[in-house]
Amino acid sequence: MSTTLTIPKLEMSMSEGTLAEWKVDDGADVKEGDVIYILETNKTSRDIEAPTSGKLVRKAEAGETYDVGTEIGEIV
Amino acid sequence: MGQGNLGIEPEVLKAIYGQMARIRAVDKAIQAGLSAGKFMFTYWPMTGQECIPATISQLVTERDYMVTTYRGIHDQVAKGVDLYGMFAEALGREDGVNKGKGGSPHISDPRSGSMVTTAIVGAGAPIANGLAISAKERGEDRVTIVNFGDGATSIGAVHEAMNLAGAWKLPVIFMCQNNQWGEYTPIPEYTASPNFFGRAEALGFKGVQLDGNDPAAFYKGMSEVIEGVRKGNGPVFVEALTYRMGPHAGVGENYNADKDVLAAAKTRAPLEKTRALLIEAGISSEDELSALEAAAKAEVEDAIARALQSPVTPATETLTDVFADVDCVPKRGHYPVREAEGALPATVETMSMVQAIIDAQHIAMTANKEVFILGEDVGDPQGGVFGTNKGLQTEFGKNRVRPTPIAEQAIIGAAIGSSIAGMRPIAEIMFADFLGVCLDQIANHAAKQRYMSGSATHAPMTIRIQAGGGMGGFGAQHSQSTEAWLLHTPGIKVVYPSNPVDAKGLLLSAIDDPDPVVMIESMMLLYTLKDQVPTGDYRIPLGVAKVKREGTDVTLISYGWELNNCLAAAEELAKEGISAEVIDLRSLVPIDYHRILDSVKKTGRALVVHAAVEFCGLGAEIASTINEELWGKLKAPATRLGADYAPIAYSNAIETSQVPNANSIAARVRALVKS
Repeated sequence: MSTTLTIPKLEMSMSEGTLAEWKVDDGADVKEGDVIYILETNKTSRDIEAPTSGKLVRKAEAGETYDVGTEIGEIV
Repeated sequence: MGQGNLGIEPEVLKAIYGQMARIRAVDKAIQAGLSAGKFMFTYWPMTGQECIPATISQLVTERDYMVTTYRGIHDQVAKGVDLYGMFAEALGREDGVNKGKGGSPHISDPRSGSMVTTAIVGAGAPIANGLAISAKERGEDRVTIVNFGDGATSIGAVHEAMNLAGAWKLPVIFMCQNNQWGEYTPIPEYTASPNFFGRAEALGFKGVQLDGNDPAAFYKGMSEVIEGVRKGNGPVFVEALTYRMGPHAGVGENYNADKDVLAAAKTRAPLEKTRALLIEAGISSEDELSALEAAAKAEVEDAIARALQSPVTPATETLTDVFADVDCVPKRGHYPVREAEGALPATVETMSMVQAIIDAQHIAMTANKEVFILGEDVGDPQGGVFGTNKGLQTEFGKNRVRPTPIAEQAIIGAAIGSSIAGMRPIAEIMFADFLGVCLDQIANHAAKQRYMSGSATHAPMTIRIQAGGGMGGFGAQHSQSTEAWLLHTPGIKVVYPSNPVDAKGLLLSAIDDPDPVVMIESMMLLYTLKDQVPTGDYRIPLGVAKVKREGTDVTLISYGWELNNCLAAAEELAKEGISAEVIDLRSLVPIDYHRILDSVKKTGRALVVHAAVEFCGLGAEIASTINEELWGKLKAPATRLGADYAPIAYSNAIETSQVPNANSIAARVRALVKS
């Protein structure tokens, strides 16, 4: 079963976030808890950890700003 | 195995760790789920504060009451709220403990003793007092623990609650989880206090400071505190020192914190420290703890997986749980016919409204020992500032007629808490203008508890307030008609009698009603208007208006003291050949649109009259409904007459002209009939 990665809503006021940097290569294996990308919000930048273990499939470019809920990848 | 050097039984320490592990598993799963975008809800992390509820869980049972805040998931988990129901609630699902209507910041789960969760900082403390009153009055040995953060110590509700608990020696524990942060602002930026427990000592009861990150020390301290409170030694304020690792809201680390401070706090974090201690002391093996953690994780994963399968609570649920009876909800096109009161008892006595109110309370208190009165100065000899409780304390004693500090939030909160526990409190607030100082307790708590909890809990309480105005001499802050504040708050019923007979019958209905009811008593009528009041118990049902005078040309709709001005105007108009029907609403919510519309169908004209400001008042609402429902059958548009848009003036000339009187009502009717 795959796990979809979407831009999370981390703050009450958050409506969009910037995928600043992927920390894991496309197609690489990740372990639950590994930092997979850096998310910048208007307040801070956060390390986002893998919610589960598996292979990362990137579906969005780094450096872009996306609405909360946008699918940016998958762990398969 | 004995305590050894640990200062705590190994089995107890292990059990505390077990709860910490469950809390951590929940915390991690929420943060992971939010980060992955698996679900979306606002989360207020409590990472680092696990030891406090985990330890308390070993000293209380589900019979003990808990009140907590939006940053209280750790408290819920340790108190024993079912994780499936909790996650389903956080996700707004049907199977949530509160039907998905409250969400994680409003968990109410009486089965586990988690009674109230508030998202208003500090507002739980006055309510906890009420739960404690119920335990004390019933002779139960339950303790009530109200959790709040250090930030909440700045708000008035906590001070009011602490003062009342001290004065009444209530079995309540004020559990201040001092995580060093008030939302985004750290100590000492928001207070010059060197500590918080000292405030209890200043109010005359015990305050202690404990290390909330050290399970052995905290267990020992809390054992003594809980034992003392259970025994009836009065309240205790516990300042439990800890550190919040997360931000105020959201996920991740507390990004407002200084990096060094956060790093130092991490070395004192309770979960990691306790785990190391269990292994070092030879109480648990690594394998054993790993298995325990894996079990906690599995429990959480199972709860989340199932919660995500529960359907989102549908929009068909919108109006249920506002009141016990959905028919009490005002709704366009739905005008239920409620049965009027039958014949009242034949024997009567001449009474003023004050005497009728005392009589009603006397009857209710005699019939049900869980009815009690609280409010400023309600004890004898004065029996309340307006004497509306005279003689009751002498007859029923000080526990059932409780004079309070001058602290309206404490009064309403105590009524809410005791009513949630099933008692039937009557809180007197005096002037209607004072609603402002306790409106949070009324509008955010009493009114919303049933809805937010999906009817798991509700607050069947009565609030009595007195409205000035129109009689001169009280000024702007003691003369206002504030019913619109209440009418615009779903969940509160409002009655407003115009005479002693209705006052008695409505109050008796209110006390027995399953929902919070505010009765507004007109100062204009309390002493002056006498009536032949039936003796004994009788009820005027809520939501039933009454035709006080029949007529054919126009319907005057009013309530409270303005009803009598309408009757006087009708008398004048009759001399001019204008026949006015006068309807007394008696109850504003639920409202009796059925009888209103029936009358206007006959007369073809309607004027709603009230002492409250006309702009955005109940009159506008009723006139609008009449116009929508009877368009085409009306001889003139339904309209309203209320007070001018101004505070009530001290000048007698202004005051008598700014609110409707018999002359101004008659003038409006003449214009209406001519048009």
